Amino acid sequence: MKCVMGIDMGSFRVKGVLWCQGSESVTFECPSGGDFEATARRAQKELLLISGRSANEIVGVLSTGYGSKSVMFADETRSDIACQCIGVHALFPSARTVIDVGDLHSKVFSLDENGAPLKFLLSGNCAGGSGRVLQIIAKVMNMKVEEIGEVSLKSKKPVDFSTGCVVFAESEAVSRLAEGVPKEDLLAGIHRALSSQINSLAERLGIEEDVVLVGGGARNPGLVKTLREVMGRDILVPEGPHMTAAYGAALLAGSLYNFKEM
Amino acid sequence: MAEQKKKHKKRRTATRAAASIGPMVKEFIAGTVRAQREGAQKLAYSFIVCHHEEILRAMDVLPIWTENFAGVCGAKRDAERFLQRAESLGFSRSLCTYALCGLGFDHWREELGEMPPDAPWGGQARPDFMISTGQILCDPRAKWYQAAQQYMPDVPIYNIDLPYPLYHPDRDHREELPYYHKYIVEELKGLIAFVEEQTGKKMDYERLWERVRLSDKTWNLIEATYDLRSAIPCPMGTGDAMNTMVPINFMMATQDAYDFFLNLKQELEEKIKKKEGVVENEKYRLLWGGGLPSWFALGDFNYFNSKGAVFPAETTYRMVAPIAEMNIPKTDDPVEHLAWRWLGYWTFWYDKARQRKGGEPDVERLINYIERYKIDGVVMHEAFSCRTWHVGLIWQLHQLAKIYKPIPVLRLGKDGNKTQAWRENPSLVLESDIIDITSYSEVDTRNKIDAFIDTLESVAKSRVD
Ligand code: SF4
Repeated sequence: MKCVMGIDMGSFRVKGVLWCQGSESVTFECPSGGDFEATARRAQKELLLISGRSANEIVGVLSTGYGSKSVMFADETRSDIACQCIGVHALFPSARTVIDVGDLHSKVFSLDENGAPLKFLLSGNCAGGSGRVLQIIAKVMNMKVEEIGEVSLKSKKPVDFSTGCVVFAESEAVSRLAEGVPKEDLLAGIHRALSSQINSLAERLGIEEDVVLVGGGARNPGLVKTLREVMGRDILVPEGPHMTAAYGAALLAGSLYNFKEM
Repeated sequence: MAEQKKKHKKRRTATRAAASIGPMVKEFIAGTVRAQREGAQKLAYSFIVCHHEEILRAMDVLPIWTENFAGVCGAKRDAERFLQRAESLGFSRSLCTYALCGLGFDHWREELGEMPPDAPWGGQARPDFMISTGQILCDPRAKWYQAAQQYMPDVPIYNIDLPYPLYHPDRDHREELPYYHKYIVEELKGLIAFVEEQTGKKMDYERLWERVRLSDKTWNLIEATYDLRSAIPCPMGTGDAMNTMVPINFMMATQDAYDFFLNLKQELEEKIKKKEGVVENEKYRLLWGGGLPSWFALGDFNYFNSKGAVFPAETTYRMVAPIAEMNIPKTDDPVEHLAWRWLGYWTFWYDKARQRKGGEPDVERLINYIERYKIDGVVMHEAFSCRTWHVGLIWQLHQLAKIYKPIPVLRLGKDGNKTQAWRENPSLVLESDIIDITSYSEVDTRNKIDAFIDTLESVAKSRVD
């Protein structure tokens, strides 16, 4: 059987999708670690293991993401924006604006009715506008990053963060905690600050509906809620929002090798 | 404090002329150090784009372009130790990093009484005087030399102020020009008096006219040369233009600058005849629409080239405009001519901008280049530490997207019908600095470029003309 593979080598996690013709796709993800090349190989191995396929059934591998060039066994490499557009378009054909909250950057891009990217903007070099700020604050609070979104939803009085800079946000969080501010209010505040930054990025690009939120940040219910509030509009979130680039990469690989529907 | 220095690979240039620039700058910098040692010529710290080169050259003053030296440190990836020294003196990293680099260097040189160890290309010579400027609203241009005077209290400064009328869509700037002209003439005459005092020589106005005429001739030649880059395939890109900016900005009013462009023009004509482009398979033509480059990452232009993208034009450092189209009033006074040329350059796009709804001079220039050079997309670079040149770039892109949509596409309406629509040129904003390498991420930059190339590809596919 012919199979294709999409690998999204993110700076924080690697995500892989294996798609074999005529069967359901399988997925795998794990932390990227320090050695991207080795992690990519691990993802390849795990995907084969889960699917019960062998390496010689794979006719094409397409890599994307921050470390895409470290995926040495990839036949093709495409930008994550191109792959996200394809992945999101397959799930939501009505999507015209995509917000991708990743580890290093938040990205906003617009796509046309065929899922082709039209324009994009990235948050600046400071991690204050990306998912990294949530990881840093989670660490300050001695919590797992996966937990902080839920906790933030309990807030009655979100704290006002006076900065968008991740270093200042960290020290502000420490001093607010020392003042005795409840965890949930602090977390709601940081989610709101990040949402405001993402919103201004989206406004700069120009927002067209429907808006879809993807990336690791989209798994955080606190961020989804505040972003909806700050943007004042509905935002669609797919199931497994962090997998859309890998999914798009597999779809693109499939189209390069003339696969039919997934 | 000294950073680990790694051998940095030289960037590939497309033209012989661009490749010849490195040794020229090296010799120029070495020449200033020599001149200082021999004491035969007076040396002046100077800023580019002040229209005073003719005055300096006519009086045999050798300019030391401090922005150029900082750029050289950046290109050699050897700026960090000077930046760190300036920081340790209390200057913030968020100030202009050219200024920081220069101040760090000056402090070190003055402290040692000789060049700092392994000074890039022999180092920056100590000046006899400094010419600062309030030009283009750049605060470091006014403050940098004042700060440097802390380490060189015996070196005098002359500050030259060169304003120009601001653009207004409903007001003809020509009504205000005579006032500005009068003011600039006074400023330039003040500079002449200052240089006369410093050099002990009188200005020879015939010599000044010769220099002014040579500059005018060079301006026109540069325009004609750069227009050749509209050819398909494009024979020279912005990567090379970041080298050929040297004669435009640092050698104006010299025969060498004129001869350089004569040679470059000839080289481009030969390339066009042979259909020799910067890239073999030219797919995308891009405009470098604003921002000084990251001098340590000029290899990114080669990366664009590797994707089939070439830059036939740039607004950065193209500090010339066709003289004939400026309607400069006839005058016998070279200083008056210089002042008119200054005003002609800065108001060059005003009339054209007024003819377009929502027009703005800088945006009009972008549109003109997009059409003239058959451009598919616009790239800008936001260098965080030079606010002067970079404030407003994003606004320009927005305004461009709003008023100029040259790409015909079909849009699917909510009713399922396709209708013809027009869309803007795709654009990319890179973020880093002129010389502060700590602000740069090669992976991020190249990922952004990859995404931009994907965008260009999809826009090209959606075109319906
Ligand atoms: S701020 Fe910009 S224009 Fe001013 S001196 Fe620095 S680099 Fe030059």
